[in-house]
Amino acid sequence: MDHDEIISGLILELRRGTLILLVLNQLQKPKYGYNLVKELKEHDIPIEANTLYPLMRRLESQGLLKSEWDTGEAKPRKYYSITEDGRIVLKRARENWTAFSGKVDSLLENGEEDSNG
Amino acid sequence: MDSELIRRYVYAVTKRLPRKSREDVAKELNTLIADMLEERCGQVLPTEKDVRVVLTELGTPAELYDQYSGEGKKCLIGPPYYATYLYVLRIVTICALIGTTLAFALSVIAGERENYWFLEVFKWIGMLFSAAVAAFAFVTALFAFFYHKEIPLDGSTGLDNLPPVPEKRDRISKGESIFGIVISVVFVLVLLCCPQIFCAVTENGEVYPVFHPQAIRGTWYLIVFFGLAGIAGEAVKLMDGRYTRRVMITVIVSDLLSGICASWWLLGHELVNAEMIEALLGYTQSNEVVRILFTNIQLLLWGLILVVLVIDAVTVAVKTGRTEEREEGK
Repeated sequence: MDHDEIISGLILELRRGTLILLVLNQLQKPKYGYNLVKELKEHDIPIEANTLYPLMRRLESQGLLKSEWDTGEAKPRKYYSITEDGRIVLKRARENWTAFSGKVDSLLENGEEDSNG
Repeated sequence: MDSELIRRYVYAVTKRLPRKSREDVAKELNTLIADMLEERCGQVLPTEKDVRVVLTELGTPAELYDQYSGEGKKCLIGPPYYATYLYVLRIVTICALIGTTLAFALSVIAGERENYWFLEVFKWIGMLFSAAVAAFAFVTALFAFFYHKEIPLDGSTGLDNLPPVPEKRDRISKGESIFGIVISVVFVLVLLCCPQIFCAVTENGEVYPVFHPQAIRGTWYLIVFFGLAGIAGEAVKLMDGRYTRRVMITVIVSDLLSGICASWWLLGHELVNAEMIEALLGYTQSNEVVRILFTNIQLLLWGLILVVLVIDAVTVAVKTGRTEEREEGK
């Protein structure tokens, strides 16, 4: 049985669910896409640019993010930041995540104790 | 720096995106690629190899396009419509093939023969092919419409709307629908391909076609519409498998349209061959009733079709009513 393949698939699924939460959270200050990629990488959360860029556009079209082009620098950059709707969604999603991950953690800890004991 | 490769890559990603976001995505991608190259090479000028590495890291243009185009409906017919689509497609195609073969056989019997037998076979294969393509196109367009307009299929909208398991008497047999579709196909093909099959033969061996072939072919659109209306009704019967309100509405609307179509066809065009009527009247000079009947044969045919359509509509309405009554009683 190929454990690695199953695990990498599972981790991908888990990440996909939390990605929107992270993006909304990090964009409380305006950032451009690659900026965010590097920032998440520094926190040991590697996200491919080819996932993040389309995702930010999608969140923008849903009204959770807004964007603005900055053409003052050498390279034109599109800065994204969270909207009011985005903040409301982020707050509720964060509460949900905290409650849910707490419950998952406690179950997983119990499971570990059971298997050890 | 190999900017031509980047240009091609960005173009390949964005060319099929909606026009309004195309330029924006392209601009953003260009900056992203420049940022990634800068990260990789620092102040050193990137080589072609660097460009290739960065673009490979971004994924193929098709993958990236897929991400940008979002999670909307990416297929022509998706679940839950696909299974029903396959089911209806299979049956309609089989019906079209049977109908075509029957129509072909009739045309051969009617004397439309080629000089060599293998030409007949080619003609038959050609007709089969056209029928299969037409059936495929018609059913596919119908279900693509259902899918994209999200027209609910029976039982796909939650627990409260799950259809009851139909009692045997409430079921519409597949055979009935198949028969209906085959008849529609034969009707259309025979009238269009060999209207001369309907003919009167006098005692001296003279043959008079009942219809003017030219007039029949000139009204092909009415005939095709008449056939399609019938097939649409049967297709919905196949889909639901019992007398639902939707089946009733479709059949009544299709009957109504067929009625209008038949009226336009039979009352607005001279379809019956006057020479044939003359010849037949020659045999029955004295009988006034027969004379009136023969000279008004189109009117007669029209009345007959209307009666059949009304019977069909009323039968479906009554059966649907009974089915609903029984289901409510449960």
